[in-house]
Amino acid sequence: MNTPLLDVKGLRTYFYTGRGVVKAVDGVNFIIKEDEVFCLVGETGCGKSVTALSIMRLIPYPGKILDGSMLYKGKNLLKLSESEIRKIRGREIAMIFQNPMNSLNPVFTIGYQISEAPITHFNLSRQDGWKKAVELIEKVKMPDAEVRAKTFPHVLSGGMRQRSMIAMMISCEPNLLIADEPTTSVDVTIQAQLMHLLKEIKEKRRMSIMLITHNFGLVAETGDRVAVMYCGKIVEIGSVKEIFREPMHPYTQGLLRCLPIGFERKKQLDSIPGTIPNPINPPPGCRFYPRCKYTVEKCKLQEPLQIDLGKGHLVACHLCGG
Amino acid sequence: MVLNLNRVKGKMLPLLHYRTSCVGLLIVFGIAAIAVGATVIAPRHYAETDIVNRLRPPSLEYPFGTDVLGRGVFSRVVYGARIAIWVGLFVVFIEASVGVTLGIIAGYYGGKIDKVISAITDMVWAFPPIVLALGVVTLIGPGLNQVVMAVAFVSWPIFTRIIRAKVQSLVNREFILAARAIGESNLDIMLRYLLPNVVSSILVLATLTLPAAILSTTALSFLGFGAQPPTPDWGAMLSDGAAQLATAPWIATFPGIFIVITVLGFNLLGDGLRDLLDPRLKV
Amino acid sequence: MGRILLNVEEFKKYFPVKGGLFSKPAYIRAVDGVSFQVEKGETFGVVGESGSGKTTLGMMVLKLIEPTSGKMYFDGIEITSIKGREFKKLRKRMGIVFQDPSASLNPRMTVRGTLRRPLAIHGVKRGEEVEKRILSMLEKVGLGREHLDRYPHELSGGQQQRVAIARAMILNPDLVVHDEPTSSLDVSVQSQILNLLLRLQNEFNLTYLFITHDLVTVRHVSDRIAVMYLGKIVEIAETDELFKNTMHPYTVALLSAAPIPNPEVKSVKRFIVGGEPPSPINPPQGCRFHPRCRYVTKECISQEPRLLEVEKNHYVACHRSCELDLSSYTRDLWRIMEEAIAGSERMIIKT
Repeated sequence: MNTPLLDVKGLRTYFYTGRGVVKAVDGVNFIIKEDEVFCLVGETGCGKSVTALSIMRLIPYPGKILDGSMLYKGKNLLKLSESEIRKIRGREIAMIFQNPMNSLNPVFTIGYQISEAPITHFNLSRQDGWKKAVELIEKVKMPDAEVRAKTFPHVLSGGMRQRSMIAMMISCEPNLLIADEPTTSVDVTIQAQLMHLLKEIKEKRRMSIMLITHNFGLVAETGDRVAVMYCGKIVEIGSVKEIFREPMHPYTQGLLRCLPIGFERKKQLDSIPGTIPNPINPPPGCRFYPRCKYTVEKCKLQEPLQIDLGKGHLVACHLCGG
Repeated sequence: MVLNLNRVKGKMLPLLHYRTSCVGLLIVFGIAAIAVGATVIAPRHYAETDIVNRLRPPSLEYPFGTDVLGRGVFSRVVYGARIAIWVGLFVVFIEASVGVTLGIIAGYYGGKIDKVISAITDMVWAFPPIVLALGVVTLIGPGLNQVVMAVAFVSWPIFTRIIRAKVQSLVNREFILAARAIGESNLDIMLRYLLPNVVSSILVLATLTLPAAILSTTALSFLGFGAQPPTPDWGAMLSDGAAQLATAPWIATFPGIFIVITVLGFNLLGDGLRDLLDPRLKV
Repeated sequence: MGRILLNVEEFKKYFPVKGGLFSKPAYIRAVDGVSFQVEKGETFGVVGESGSGKTTLGMMVLKLIEPTSGKMYFDGIEITSIKGREFKKLRKRMGIVFQDPSASLNPRMTVRGTLRRPLAIHGVKRGEEVEKRILSMLEKVGLGREHLDRYPHELSGGQQQRVAIARAMILNPDLVVHDEPTSSLDVSVQSQILNLLLRLQNEFNLTYLFITHDLVTVRHVSDRIAVMYLGKIVEIAETDELFKNTMHPYTVALLSAAPIPNPEVKSVKRFIVGGEPPSPINPPQGCRFHPRCRYVTKECISQEPRLLEVEKNHYVACHRSCELDLSSYTRDLWRIMEEAIAGSERMIIKT
């Protein structure tokens, strides 16, 4: 029926550092459908940002994508040449990052920077590119677009810079927008504005958004489907409603029950004992077993496979029948 | 050190650096060994004269030849290593003590205190060190100790500047606020919180200024203000050998080579240390 | 009403802005007339975004920043201009925990050193007594003897924060100020630390001033909450009352914007406030929130509203507080926050 927009299978990205091999992403499978908000959620070091960079093929040295396939519109992104992937980057798959000041060039006006992608991908002239930039600045709801286009990044506030980033990234009307912690560095009210803007843009253009975050609140508010990552692996995927209502993986359960809602005030919250393991030497078998309350012998020895529980809900846990 | 070396290994150019700083380390060890083992290595005392054999070229008995008084140049160079290093260390010790103290005080207190200290630092910094040192020795007279004082007196500003900048970057960080919150006195904050966190910079700076100290003291000795005969200071030996350069080049050449190697060694080591410990240090 | 431990009156802090030779002297009005009281044993939450002045306020309470004007009373005694030995004695009774534990610990001091310093400064002589107290405090925060000789970089974020908490509490203070103590930690570690803070409060009968931008967290730990905007307090109320019966438009905006981890929230109509927080150098005339407020009137533009007790124990600074009924926006959100997600504790094993 509906082929997914992006179909990732068996993605493995390792970093070969002096201290050992960091298995940042170690066998990850998921799909992103058209016109949906897909959230990738997890704690520090789980591999969510690396997954996003792998999709864009922007993994820096000493990292390497070892294995896997990423089917986008029938093409395997991993097998494309450098020039072919460059045609896709920015044009069909775009990415916005956490800290917009680091992604914006301080010596060019934002109008210039926003016009760069359309000029390159659509062969526009400088003037047409500039006009498009002003249009886009209006689309991201920044007042006085004409004036705004001539300003430099350092003059703008955090929220405005992030809007400029968004304008840049949607300039070529991509099919997939990857947003890596886009609102972590802005205030809550500005965060609400930005998420609202992203949702509006998604509705108008039938764009999919891959939202990477550690904030379950954002997942609940904007997400359609969510994948939970732990230590380089996806432990659970499903619709946001399902996952919040009936999480099956002990880690997902643990995380959701850590959040201070639904508890009597000032009473003890649930917590997950222990700490995140070292990605250089993860525990054998199921990576979560040292912190899990429900382990059996099998958990120590064998890595669990993804099991389909129906309605698109997948879990990687032996106790769910794996 | 292993962790950072691995970070350094990641790129080609630092790899080159890693090798050169190893060379630096070897040289420094070598010279230090010579200095420490001078009495064993040198075949004879540096002041022992042998007038009959004066101005002889290098031979088996006198590996570096003899000077105008028949003293073995080899033995004198070997003992000279002691003086060079000892003097260098002394100078750096005094420079660092004065410079770091002023730097921490200026960086921590800021305001008027900082303005005064910075003004003084800038004034001393503005003078070409040799000229100023010359001025000082003219006042206090010649001699190795005097040279040490003079060179230290003009070279402390670099420490003050760098440490002051380092302290300014630390002083608004939360651990300093936390220290004030538990009631630490200003002195304790400077000693227990700021000083330990600038030690790596001090170390790097010391290693990088040591060769300059050696060069300056050598230069002053060359000009006659430093070591008095028969002290085998390399600079003094250069001066002695300058007159005989055409006829007996070995008298000046060997000390000269050793000066170059020693200074080079410390510079290489210092660069390597800086890359490891404090890459953002700009001297 | 319990005993009042901390009483702040019209606190102001203006930071001069260095202009050029020809510019007029300008000030950042970080805190601009803030008054409140904290009872012994309660947790008083202070909530706001960046630029609200909440962090500056926390520092002023601890006397790490001297106020430009205003008075402060601690346990009945005025401490605004206290100095010397009296001041040192006061230091024992207050502690602070900062946001980023890796920055708030001395990188060159072991855990033992960090915990020993407060004791040494306040006269506990070296020896067995000190060791015992350090170990006992470590245990209370969930660490052990093996951590004593470690340096901060050898500890995880959660462990570092535990050390910072131990340091703040080792002298048995009365008041502890927390400045975003869990914001830079992972979700699973946040709950551990919050639990620790609540346990310690119970055990030592501590009073907390809890500063954060996270409404969900502050709701869980606080008895009363003050909402700050651009250097002023706009609303103070008991926690449940603040959420059930929100009265200030900014509080509504804040609550509406807070991401609540419950998918039910998608069905609630949210109040998205437009605009950007204005500059604290030139705050708007009249009510500071008026440029972004949808209920603005002429009075709002010209006159600053005062913080008044509009209902029992519920203070609001809004000219229209009596006319507006904003609770419809927030009541649903409050209800959603009360609902547990992820079901009850059970494990479904499907074959």
